[in-house]
Amino acid sequence: MLRRFLLGAVAVTACVLPAAAQDYIVGVTGALTGPPSSTYAPAVDAMRIYIDRVNASGGVNGHKIKLLVEDDGAQPSKAAANTKKLITQDNVILMVNASLSSTYAPVISETKNAGVPLLFASGVCPQSVYPPADPLQFCTTGYASHFDSQATLDFIKARAKTPVKIGFSAMAIPVSRGEMDYANDLSKKLGMTPVDLEVIPPPTADYTPFATKLKDAGPTWVYSWAPWVTQVRTLEALRKLGWQDDFIAWGHLEAEAELARLKDAKFFVVNSNSLFQEQLPIQKEIEDAAKQAGSKYPAQTMTEGWIGGMAIEAALKAAGSSADRAKLRAAMENLKIDTKGLRGGPIEWTKDNHFRTQLYYRVYGWDGSKIARVQDWKNYPVK
Amino acid sequence: MQLAVNIVVLSSIYALIACGYVLIYRVSRVLNLAHGELMMLGAYLLLTTAWLFSGHPAIALSAAIGLSLVAGALVYIFLMRRMTGEMVLAAILTTVALGILIRGFVVLVWSAQQQYPAQVLAVSNPSLALPGGARISQWSAVLVATTLIVYAGLFSFLRFGRWGMRTRAAGQNALLAAQRGINLHVVYALAWSLSTLTGALAGILIALDSGITGGMPVIGLKAFPAALVGGLDSLAGALVGSLIVAAAEVLLIYYVDPLLSDVVPFLVLIAMLVMRPWGLFGTREELDRV
Repeated sequence: MLRRFLLGAVAVTACVLPAAAQDYIVGVTGALTGPPSSTYAPAVDAMRIYIDRVNASGGVNGHKIKLLVEDDGAQPSKAAANTKKLITQDNVILMVNASLSSTYAPVISETKNAGVPLLFASGVCPQSVYPPADPLQFCTTGYASHFDSQATLDFIKARAKTPVKIGFSAMAIPVSRGEMDYANDLSKKLGMTPVDLEVIPPPTADYTPFATKLKDAGPTWVYSWAPWVTQVRTLEALRKLGWQDDFIAWGHLEAEAELARLKDAKFFVVNSNSLFQEQLPIQKEIEDAAKQAGSKYPAQTMTEGWIGGMAIEAALKAAGSSADRAKLRAAMENLKIDTKGLRGGPIEWTKDNHFRTQLYYRVYGWDGSKIARVQDWKNYPVK
Repeated sequence: MQLAVNIVVLSSIYALIACGYVLIYRVSRVLNLAHGELMMLGAYLLLTTAWLFSGHPAIALSAAIGLSLVAGALVYIFLMRRMTGEMVLAAILTTVALGILIRGFVVLVWSAQQQYPAQVLAVSNPSLALPGGARISQWSAVLVATTLIVYAGLFSFLRFGRWGMRTRAAGQNALLAAQRGINLHVVYALAWSLSTLTGALAGILIALDSGITGGMPVIGLKAFPAALVGGLDSLAGALVGSLIVAAAEVLLIYYVDPLLSDVVPFLVLIAMLVMRPWGLFGTREELDRV
């Protein structure tokens, strides 16, 4: 009897396994825990919700998408182990990195060795996706080095009525420091006077010592391009010290709720995503999906992950029913993703450009009673 | 003047956290490497009580403090008690596992998002002007005052309290204390409760000042060198050690390089370990090699 049962079980398993193997398997290494996780965990959750919805409506090309998520805690060693496991054991056809930039090097190395396309979704776009792009790397994330600072400093220049003395605040991670060094140099070219650059280690018990130094340098503007925690705590520490000038930061996922919390008329966020105060149909869809899925994260923090999900779906669709790593990579080299208003325009990838051909930026602020657009979409071509 | 205020605030944060390390070590010779996580748990407990009693900050704060005390006792009863009689290293590794467990638990229950209990409680955090043009936020000022009260309370409790005396006795010689009729489990549970409470107070006040993130345990870890510099079995040492580490950190940020703030506590610690491994006020013979 037992023998018959076991044989039956083996037969059933044999029938089930090939069906499961038909799924498109996509691996994600993300910072679900750790200091900067508030920027990445909601994006990963949004991606999961998006993919679940795709699966519920029949999948892509008749296949379900299996999204395997591993937490790397924003630690490079864990990200490397996750990637190795996902590539060798789970046989993923696409890797997604939704983590801090310090995890990029080991993930890139592992995906290169295995020839797996790598999508950066919610983590900063690395230079290797800009033209001429690395054949295996792609990015949907809204923020990107150099372009963001260009857009931000252009805004400051247009808005400032007096000569600008500018201070900078970065987190002590390579990408943030590098960007603030770039902005420091760029500000001089734009006729501004850089007065101080504070590089703040994550996490810090008290930001006031850093803010004290920044304030004493006498800036009329402060610009921060770093994970949200560094940006907002630098601002709040400056305000506690009585500094009342203009502060501008990158509009991460948390920006919308934080603008409403702080109600600070001299705090601006530069953004490539539409905030939910725009009330677009797609945003209503995200809100409903988040609610239905019982997500712990507010819908306003899900745009990056949602766009990541859109990119995964579009790439798999273009790769065809028999998609493998090589076919998927080839398909991603010629892809146009309609973001339905979440961005100023579509994300377009070409053979040499795995970033996007046009960048669009908006600036939001607090107008005294609500979040308001301070500057509408302004586009920058990527060459 | 602002630099002096910054030093006082940072040393108060470190001191409030460091005394938790000292309390546990002094009684049981265990390094509680989950102290940062317990501190974060206290902050998240406040968030929960804030949701429950949003219009009543005093009730929410009291409930969070009470829950922190209970959490500390539960950690001892359900976890550390099992380590009694085992190698100290096993107990330390258990605290590491506890820390990992709490970090995961926090993400599962409260999510990884940055949270603001002060916003939920609708309490403000105005900037207060001090003499000399310096400023301090209201919750930072409360944190400084709390640290002073906690240390005064702990000194009095350990020096004059009946259970304080029993705690000291258990720390000096557990076997002898047990033979004299002291219930060691109660003493240890009390030490874990008080330690978790002090850590939680730090977490709660930091959360009220600037919010909670998943990175809070690292702040707890940064206070560990302060406890070691002062001497792991000395409360006075924790206070002085915190002042030294905070002063070095704030002054180097301002006059040398902000990046040094991350390594300064550990540089001070290494210097102290080279010169006086048992710390400024620690007891030489109490130094265990782990």
